[in-house]
Amino acid sequence: MSAPARVERLIARVLLLGGLLSVSLMLGGLIVYAAQGRPEAREIVRVVKNREAGRAVDVFTSLGDVRRALAQRPPDPLAVTALGLVGLLVTPVLGVAAASVTFWRAGDRDYAAIAGVVLGMLLLSFALAAGG
Amino acid sequence: MSPLVFVAALFATSVVAGGAGAVLGLGGGILLIPILTLFFGMDLHYAMGASIVSVIATSSGAAAAYLRTSLSNVRIGLFLALATVSGAMLGAALAGVVPIRVLQLLLGLALAYSTVTTLRQLRVELPEPVEADPLALRFGLEGTYYDAVLDRDVKYRATRVAQGFSAMFGAGLLSGLLGIGSGAFKVLAMDHFMRLPMKVSTATSNFMIGITSAASAGIYFARGDIHPVLAAPVAVGVLVGAAAGTRLMARLRNSTIRKAFLPVLGWLAVSMILRGLGIGLP
Repeated sequence: MSAPARVERLIARVLLLGGLLSVSLMLGGLIVYAAQGRPEAREIVRVVKNREAGRAVDVFTSLGDVRRALAQRPPDPLAVTALGLVGLLVTPVLGVAAASVTFWRAGDRDYAAIAGVVLGMLLLSFALAAGG
Repeated sequence: MSPLVFVAALFATSVVAGGAGAVLGLGGGILLIPILTLFFGMDLHYAMGASIVSVIATSSGAAAAYLRTSLSNVRIGLFLALATVSGAMLGAALAGVVPIRVLQLLLGLALAYSTVTTLRQLRVELPEPVEADPLALRFGLEGTYYDAVLDRDVKYRATRVAQGFSAMFGAGLLSGLLGIGSGAFKVLAMDHFMRLPMKVSTATSNFMIGITSAASAGIYFARGDIHPVLAAPVAVGVLVGAAAGTRLMARLRNSTIRKAFLPVLGWLAVSMILRGLGIGLP
């Protein structure tokens, strides 16, 4: 199998598995959240029209927020959903990382470098976001 | 509307947007933002947050299938991602400081341009053979895919790579600014400037939109624009729709995809320009 074909297969696998795992977490969290019947869940139709109301209640703005909510006993189900969302956001990054490594192993230095630069920019954007 | 009906309607809408996005290479965001704001009354920032998540979901669902069938070209996608990711980072940094109506007007004008460009090439099935571009030769920006409709292998090579690369930077900028994958612009850049077959353009766009959107998604997340209760049903619905859309796309002609692309762009262009100008829609 040629290097591009190997890379295509690997990226396809990473994207598919990342997507499925993320969706499982999102769905699991949402189902538990709905089953708990919290008052804020009943307010969601109002919240969508007013971002400030939503921010105060349910929105996570950092991995630290998600981690703290997951550490509660029982864990906050919306944090599980947020973890799934974070998983989905990093899935393309993992795909690019896999491409860089596979191109390098196949001896295609140009595309290993191109994928590496794209990966670097993605990581920088996450770092900038985390830094506020 | 009860919360359950609201979430179910959100999911159903997202399935349709994901299917259309996978076929047209749009990612669904360009369809979702107007729908979420116009019909669901969603705050534009939440709609943009849900949209950026939906774009990555479409990309994960559609690109996985397109990469396996060689419709997505990973070399072209990664090469052009250099331009889109840097543009997206700049766009996302500017998004919080640009007024909402300016964003809507920008999106509408960009869509109007896309509509005119697509109209000019409506009946083209496959591009004419192109002159060898030094950058395309240097970086191997070419490929082959099996076209089920034409029942033959289709070989292609990119041309006017520099123009395509510049257009991709603009596409990335819009992605970061407006919370869309800007797949429409990526498709146009590959189809119009680089003269790639429409199917390769939409499939490669699907691969790229996830990468571009990931660059700005972290910034949207940190700003609190990604509400889990809103973004999760959208992401799941879009992923389901995208998986179905990829099966449909393989059976369509390139010109059919282009024709389907046109009315969607036209309608959205008009609606967003009107809102950007402060003219309410019924």
